[in-house]
Amino acid sequence: MIFPLLHLVLIAIAVSLALIFTYRAVLEKDLVKAVAFSAAQSTAFALVFYLLAAPDIVLAYVAIAVGIYTAIMLFLIRKTESYEEV
Amino acid sequence: MRKEDIALILLMAAIALIAYLVAYYGITGPYPFYQLRTLGAVYIYVTLLKQSGLWAASPEAVTAILWDYRGLDTVFETSVFFLAIISAVALFRLTPKYEKEYKELGKKVKDTGLSLIVKLITKIVLVMIIAISASIALHGQLTPGGGFQGGSALAVAPILLIIGFSVWYVEKLGFTKTRALTLRTIGLVTITLIALIPIIYSLITMSGAYILQNQPKPGAPFSYPERVLGVFSGSLLFLNIAEYLAVANGFLVTFILLAIPEVIYFKIIKEERGGE
Repeated sequence: MIFPLLHLVLIAIAVSLALIFTYRAVLEKDLVKAVAFSAAQSTAFALVFYLLAAPDIVLAYVAIAVGIYTAIMLFLIRKTESYEEV
Repeated sequence: MRKEDIALILLMAAIALIAYLVAYYGITGPYPFYQLRTLGAVYIYVTLLKQSGLWAASPEAVTAILWDYRGLDTVFETSVFFLAIISAVALFRLTPKYEKEYKELGKKVKDTGLSLIVKLITKIVLVMIIAISASIALHGQLTPGGGFQGGSALAVAPILLIIGFSVWYVEKLGFTKTRALTLRTIGLVTITLIALIPIIYSLITMSGAYILQNQPKPGAPFSYPERVLGVFSGSLLFLNIAEYLAVANGFLVTFILLAIPEVIYFKIIKEERGGE
C-alpha cells in the first residue's frame, strides 16, 4: 500500500469539504459570498494536492486559485453586479 | 442549523466511512505495486545520476522535466501567458489624455484604502510574501517550486497593496505599468536568449547543439555552468529567475489595469459614442 490509511481518510474528508463548498458556491445568490466559498473549496483542494505528494502543484495552486482567481473575480463583481437575480 | 447542512455533514461522514473501508479492506481491487512505473523510474534515474549522461544538474525532477526534458512545452506555455497579458493590456489601454486624467483623479482622492490596522498588517505580510516567493523561485532547482510558482506567489503582493491602499499608491511606490511591462519583456527575452545561446555556440564552434540545451549530451558538448556559487544550477536557475520576473510583472500589469476606476472607462465609452 503506497498511501497510509490516514492519508486516504484525510483526502476523503478534504474532498467532501470541497464538495460542500462548491455546492454552497453554486447555490449562493450573493456573488461575493460565492467567491469566498470558491476560495474555501480551493483551500481544500490544495490540501488534497499536498496529501497526494504534489508540492509543486500546491505552490502554484494556492497562489492562483486562492489569491489571484479570487481577486480577479472580486474586481469583475465590482465592475458589474454583485447579486444574482433569477 | 439548516436541513441541508445536516445532510451535507452526513454525506461527509459517509464519504469518510467509505474511504476507511476502501483503504482497510481494499474493496476496489489490488493495491498499486511498491515498485515505480517504468517512466517514473527512468526520470528518477536520469535526474539523480550524472553518469546517466542526460542529467539536468538539478536533483528536482519536476523542474528538470519542466525546463530541460520538456523545455519546449514550458516555452509555449509562457508564450500563451504572454499573449493573454498582451490582450489584457490592449483591451484596457488608456490614451495619453485619459492617462493624465487617471493620475489627476489619484491626486484628488484622499484617505483611500482600508483602516490603519489593515494597512499595517498588509505591510508586514508583504515582506513575508516577497521573501517566500523569492525562496520558491530561487530554490526551484533544488526543492519543489520554480519560476511560475514563485511569480504567482509574488503576484499576490500587489493585490493586497491595491485593496489595502490604492492603485495610485502602488504606482507611487515605483511599480508603474510601463516599468512592469519592461521587466516582463526583459524576462521573456532572457528566456529566449537562454534557449538560443546553445545554437549560437554551435554555429561558432561548428559542433552540435540542441535548442534549450542545458548539460552536455552525446554529440553536443555545450553546457551551462553545472554549479553557481557552489549550488547546482545548470540553465534552470537562470530560466527560473527570468520566468519569475515575467510572471510576477505580467500579473502586476493586469491588476493595475483592472483596478483603474470605472469612471475613466465610462468617459472613454461616452466619447466614442459621441457624447451620449
